[in-house]
Amino acid sequence: MSTIQNSNTAAAGTAAADHKKPVRPGTVIIYLFLVFMAVIYLAPLVWIVLVSLKDNAGVNTDPFGWPGVLHFENYVQAFTMGKLGYAILNSLLVCGVTLVVSLFLGCMASFAIARMKWKLSEFINTFFMIGLMVPVHCILIPLFVRFAHLGLTNSRFGLMIPYITFSLSTVIFLMVNFFRSMPGEIFEAAAIDGCSIYRIFFTIAVPLSRTGLFVAGIMTFVGNWNELLMAMVFISDPMKKTLPVTLTYFVGPYATNYVQMFAAIVIAIAPTITVYCMFSNQIVDGLTAGAVKG
Amino acid sequence: MDRILRDKKAIFIFVAPALTLFIVVLVIPIFQMIFYSFCNYAALTPPEFIGWANYKKLFTNDQTFRIALKNSIFFMIFSAVTQQVIGLFLAVLLTNIKRGRNLFKNIIYLPCVLSSAALGLLWAFLFNPKIGINALLAKFGVRGPLWLMDSKGFIPLPMWVIAFVALWQYVGQNMMLYMAQITGISKELYEASYVDGANKRQSFRYITMPLVRPMVITSLSLNCIGSLKFFDLVYNMTQGGPNHRTEVLATELYAEGFNYFKYGYASAISVVLLIMCLAVTLIIRKAIKVETYES
Amino acid sequence: MKKKSLAAVLSAAMVMGTIVSAATPMTVMADDPEEITWMFWDDLEATQDLISLGYADVIDRFNTTYEGQYHCTPITTNLEEYDGKVNALIAAGQTPDLWICNPGPNMDVYVKAGVAADLTDILQKDNPDWYDSFTDGIFERMTYDGKIMAVPTNFAAACVYYNTEIFKDAGVEVPTTYDELIDVCKKLKDAGYTPISCSAGTAWCLSMIAGYLCDRSGVDLGAIADHTADWTDDNCIRAGERLKELSQYFQDTAAGDSNDQATANFYNGDAAMLVQGSWAIAQMNGSNPDFESRCGVFQFPGIPEENDPNRMIVKTDNLLMSASTEHQDAVIALMKMFTDEEAQKYTAEVGGKFPIIRDVEIDYNKAPAQLKYVQDIMQNVTGTLGFYNESLDSVEAGDCFDNAMVDIFLGNQTPEEAFQTVEDFYNENVWTE
Repeated sequence: MSTIQNSNTAAAGTAAADHKKPVRPGTVIIYLFLVFMAVIYLAPLVWIVLVSLKDNAGVNTDPFGWPGVLHFENYVQAFTMGKLGYAILNSLLVCGVTLVVSLFLGCMASFAIARMKWKLSEFINTFFMIGLMVPVHCILIPLFVRFAHLGLTNSRFGLMIPYITFSLSTVIFLMVNFFRSMPGEIFEAAAIDGCSIYRIFFTIAVPLSRTGLFVAGIMTFVGNWNELLMAMVFISDPMKKTLPVTLTYFVGPYATNYVQMFAAIVIAIAPTITVYCMFSNQIVDGLTAGAVKG
Repeated sequence: MDRILRDKKAIFIFVAPALTLFIVVLVIPIFQMIFYSFCNYAALTPPEFIGWANYKKLFTNDQTFRIALKNSIFFMIFSAVTQQVIGLFLAVLLTNIKRGRNLFKNIIYLPCVLSSAALGLLWAFLFNPKIGINALLAKFGVRGPLWLMDSKGFIPLPMWVIAFVALWQYVGQNMMLYMAQITGISKELYEASYVDGANKRQSFRYITMPLVRPMVITSLSLNCIGSLKFFDLVYNMTQGGPNHRTEVLATELYAEGFNYFKYGYASAISVVLLIMCLAVTLIIRKAIKVETYES
Repeated sequence: MKKKSLAAVLSAAMVMGTIVSAATPMTVMADDPEEITWMFWDDLEATQDLISLGYADVIDRFNTTYEGQYHCTPITTNLEEYDGKVNALIAAGQTPDLWICNPGPNMDVYVKAGVAADLTDILQKDNPDWYDSFTDGIFERMTYDGKIMAVPTNFAAACVYYNTEIFKDAGVEVPTTYDELIDVCKKLKDAGYTPISCSAGTAWCLSMIAGYLCDRSGVDLGAIADHTADWTDDNCIRAGERLKELSQYFQDTAAGDSNDQATANFYNGDAAMLVQGSWAIAQMNGSNPDFESRCGVFQFPGIPEENDPNRMIVKTDNLLMSASTEHQDAVIALMKMFTDEEAQKYTAEVGGKFPIIRDVEIDYNKAPAQLKYVQDIMQNVTGTLGFYNESLDSVEAGDCFDNAMVDIFLGNQTPEEAFQTVEDFYNENVWTE
């Protein structure tokens, strides 16, 4: 976790060396370049908001101008016709449950692997890491066949199962490292005081690992929120589709009612952008810390 | 105390649920998939063992698969190289400025957390022949190419477009990884090097580079596996078209499996994909380990 | 901060979980009408297609007429994903009670797999009145070994639609032969118009033109199926060269445009001609009502010296009943409603497709103008053929043909090379037995 604090507080070495010198042309060029990059990153997002407020004729004649009349009805239509409301609720449900269950199961397993003493712990740890290397595509067909027989396709519960499984690898990887970085004395002291192993886990280990859980939680949630392939294969009922799937079906790049689709895209990415703006530092650092460890 | 931490029952209770799920949902299906890849299995009829026939067809007589394999490899190499270089470049730039570092960092990282399904659709509209970039070019009297529809060349234009969009979306990830590593290098190290008369380029060459090298393993593996798995952007920008010219392994697998319902054949593609992922991970680890020993 | 946001996320997830788990049982109502599912290839709520809206009406009518007794829930997808999703449900053992299906290899798959019910007795013995109401010979393409496996809901024919204003402006007349068509295209292009709107992004649209050109050039699919003719014969190659020639008059973006987009190009007045099935009438008039008065129809031009120029591509939409349905009576009631006079009248007068039952009186003043034109063309038709991709040996063979045609169009392969690809496919997969 040290990297998180570092990037937040300490300035980089080279930047510190700059400190005493006056502003140089080099710095100006760097800033110009960074502003240019920021434009490249933000322009498509601004554009989509602008065109989503036009009508179809306006999009065709002048796709880059400022919208004259603001057509907010595009959003209403996109929301109702595209069933985006259901999609957002479905995504929240699937990702939320996945988050809770995978954190819970993953945290328990990580605690046993990192802090308890048994022969196979290293092997099991490596075993869980398979999930980081195997692409989800590889198990799509066997899983689909099996779930089909169990009646778990076309069900949100069925979708959660593979999501939880793949999230477990991430959670266990992060949490094993996290538990290992905790000082062992806390647990020893608790054990000497006569705490049972379950109490040590629930009242000491879990509360102390909130930072780790936050990082793991963000990583799983973002990953599952954006997942398309598995959701597309598993769910066919329009009322059960998650957000990326609903969007993909509703918005074909080749279909013709542009403005509603633009509005749908905006509706789909707006919640993420809002949350990101509110917690950007935590999210960016959390995801990076997760990836560094991974 | 040791007794508590060696409690077999507790260990079982902690590990068993996760392990069971993992075995049932991930490990068994992998073996099942390998079995299916040797079968003629058409969804509505039971699997029938046919030996190597699927693989034989895949490598000798399937033009679309060859295109998909070529595109996936191109995509992997392109992403690995550009994302590494540009990611590191941006990281160095950002660690060298004082004001607005967080702002720029967060802006460039933003697309990483957004749904690539949504962004793919957004870019598909920007590269639409009538609206988007071509309309902007037309204002200057330039007739833009058919970005997502051209089919000429070894790597057709739409594949380049998709690769650049992917670069745009994911370069923030590498930038962040490298920034974390660089900011982790202690200030004293740089200050000492300046005292010794090193200039910036030298301190980059002799301090930054060696110290970020371990990070290359992580970010390169992430890049390569990520780009082999690539599905969302292609599916939402071109759906593999025109005429399969932008098919990648994942979209081809999806098409064979869930459009034609050739489960056996699609499983063979999955096996190829799996082997490539494992091979790439091993090669990167091996290659970079050797390099760290040298330095 | 971190602690709070995590807590918020967790509790939100918990609340969601409780709400949904509490809400689910409530949707199962107390008085339990027989619930059946019907699968369809368009979103009934978002669609502007008049045929789809007609289907939606039938479902509504069914649910009101049989309220408390039967209830039908449509499962919808978009057209591109349709076959995949149906197969997925069937493979999962959740076969919809009734689903819509194209004729040809698609239907063959379901019949061969035994998931479609044999309707012969239901039609001929149990409901002779219903059976007699259908047009003669309409069951021909749905009959396997003497068993009727599907019920049609409408039929459509492929023609060339043209923008009368553009034709007038460019001073060209409706072409009747292929050479005249090329001539018209040239003149339109010289006058600054896009002569033909076509989609190669949706391969079957291009393939439909290719199918017509093959047929006009004298390709005989029956002979090819028996291997008494080859895909590399002269007539195929000639058809390929004609496709190449014609395709230079397509819009610039034809390579990637989808069916919807190509059709939109036409009804928005960006192109002078469109080759499409009569289902496009509903789409055109639904999306741009003003266009009806400017839209003419003519038969795909022939090459009289090479083949009968009066043959027409036609197809039906068909309903398949699940062989394992537990609600046969409900499904039959629904099928009857799809084919009753009210639905069929709508099909013609609003939807712009042809009814499949006799004795339905169509008021052509109400019907789309284009339908009457197509009807007039139908009077002279001497023979029909199916869509090429639906008339070949398998879905994959159809796709192989479609892709070969796209390759000719894109210039990636010469007609000789492209047809060689199809020939190779047949050598390996079809003519082996």
